[in-house]
Amino acid sequence: MAAPHRIDVHHHFVPQIYKDALIALGSACPEPGYQPPIANWTVERSLDQMDAAGIASAIVSVTTPGIHFGNDAAARNLARQCNDAGARMMQDRPQRFGLFAALPLPDIDASLEEIGYALDQLKADGIGLYTDYESGGVKFLGDATFAPILDELNRRQTLVFVHPTSCICCSRLQPGIADAIIEYGTDTTRTIASLVFGGAAARYPNISWIFCHAGGTMPYLIQRFIDFSGRDTGAMKAAMPQGLMHELTRFYYDLAQTAHPGPVAALRKIIPNSHILFGTDYPYGAGCADQVKQIAACGFSAAELAAVDRANALTLLPRFA
Amino acid sequence: MAALTRIDVHHHFVPPAYKAEMNKKRPMQPVMQSWTIQNSIDDMDKAGTQIALVSITTPGLWFGHVEEARRLSRVCNDFGMEMIRNHPGRFGLFAAIPWPDVEGSLKEVEYALDTLKADGICMFTSYGDRWLGHADFNPLFEELNRRKAIVYVHPHAAACCIDLIPEVNESVIEYGTDTTRAINSMIFTGASTRYPNIQWIWSHAGGTMPFLIERMVNLAKIPQVAAKLPNGLMHELKRFYYDTAQASNGVALGALKQVAGASQIVFGTDYPYRLSIEHVEGVAGAGLSRDEMIGIDHRNALRLLPNLATLIKA
Repeated sequence: MAAPHRIDVHHHFVPQIYKDALIALGSACPEPGYQPPIANWTVERSLDQMDAAGIASAIVSVTTPGIHFGNDAAARNLARQCNDAGARMMQDRPQRFGLFAALPLPDIDASLEEIGYALDQLKADGIGLYTDYESGGVKFLGDATFAPILDELNRRQTLVFVHPTSCICCSRLQPGIADAIIEYGTDTTRTIASLVFGGAAARYPNISWIFCHAGGTMPYLIQRFIDFSGRDTGAMKAAMPQGLMHELTRFYYDLAQTAHPGPVAALRKIIPNSHILFGTDYPYGAGCADQVKQIAACGFSAAELAAVDRANALTLLPRFA
Repeated sequence: MAALTRIDVHHHFVPPAYKAEMNKKRPMQPVMQSWTIQNSIDDMDKAGTQIALVSITTPGLWFGHVEEARRLSRVCNDFGMEMIRNHPGRFGLFAAIPWPDVEGSLKEVEYALDTLKADGICMFTSYGDRWLGHADFNPLFEELNRRKAIVYVHPHAAACCIDLIPEVNESVIEYGTDTTRAINSMIFTGASTRYPNIQWIWSHAGGTMPFLIERMVNLAKIPQVAAKLPNGLMHELKRFYYDTAQASNGVALGALKQVAGASQIVFGTDYPYRLSIEHVEGVAGAGLSRDEMIGIDHRNALRLLPNLATLIKA
């Protein structure tokens, strides 16, 4: 087997404090809840998966349902303890693990404090956000509510990993069809739309954005995006002075849970290969080695695949070189 | 004028009596206000469309009142039939029904298919918090299955998903997503397998379904889910038809082709929201073979509507 070389930008860790938090929520826990992939996670299992799939480094993040369950103080504590746990994984194995630190959003002040702590003290590799938060209704990332956060992340030229969640609008809509099937991908599309059409993407050019799952469903809806961007040219020009495609093509997209030739071909028609990243969604999905196999069947050339596996991520995460 | 070789399965009409009633609730959009039969025909002529199967679009006709919905369905269907009679060979009809009024819908199905000889039935992707696989629809789908009917499914923003993002119209994301929900509902409740004689046309290249295929494939691997799909997930996805409206580009059609096969793609325009010619040009630039494009223009639709074959002189 080739030496481990892949960089997995979409890899979850589940510290005990996080397991405890979901268990305490019990049946009130939002989807996906305290499921076996969460319950069974250990650092050793992550490392075994990485070894089996040739993954040199994984940048870990807390998965959905996220950090905030209605209590600001509890969220602040949970974010801090998860970040400290992630930092310990980095200290123990600096080349194997990186960290996208969690924030106690929608608590803005506490999140600004956690950004400073995570990036300055813990030397986290970036910040993990979710696609939407409840703060007087559903708010997507382009909403003015988050301007202080994006200002700060822009000032620090931060790498931001945006993970989907079940929007409160759309959780448990249909029995037997988990939110993950349709709603996660859709929520990524919504937050991308919020960022580009609301102007935040252009306003904060120093943030590097990674969106999960090949952009949710955005590439498939590209004609709708393009047509909409041409509707009200005055407002659209103000929101995106360099145009829609400039913003969409500067974002990065991971391949977790989308490694099928159809969607991957669609993504590659609008996004340059240099902005496509390897990701697994471990401990969700069919395993890291399976993801490697699936991606190999998606029509990449050897050179393109090498870039997706490692080189593209290194431009964002040079410390893993 | 170019030869008329296309069959447009996604083309809207705005019956004047329907428009008048909608305007009393909330003024319809400018493209709806200005629709006329002649504008439709001009648009079709420019795009080489022989026949457009017309359907009503959002806001539909269910506003909580059974009698109103029954009356509006009848008004729309009768107007559609008048268009068909007055312009032979240019129009077909996907008839409206007053769902969720079960009794009224069954009556309108009978009237539309037996008396008017409509080409199929038009439904929306969801009604309130019910998507098409919900057990509520069983009596209707049993009847439509018995009749081997075509069901053309049009999306709207589901009740869950209105006004989510201030800067973004619902047609950008929510319409496509609701088609995906309806497809998943049909498949994973087992309704698609239970009603194998209904022929489904999904709008807008399946909404976003082809992009989420990996998620669906993994769901279908769970044993209790697989038990509801005796022919497998892909069998169901590959028997549906998908139109090109607002998705006439290589990104969407390329992915759709890989998931469902080019033989399942049918020409659709969403006129008057978009022009038909845009879709002709879009399909031409989507990287499809000439044979695949002929399939999209009319050959695939003729498998659904074989009685239209005499109209197409390609």
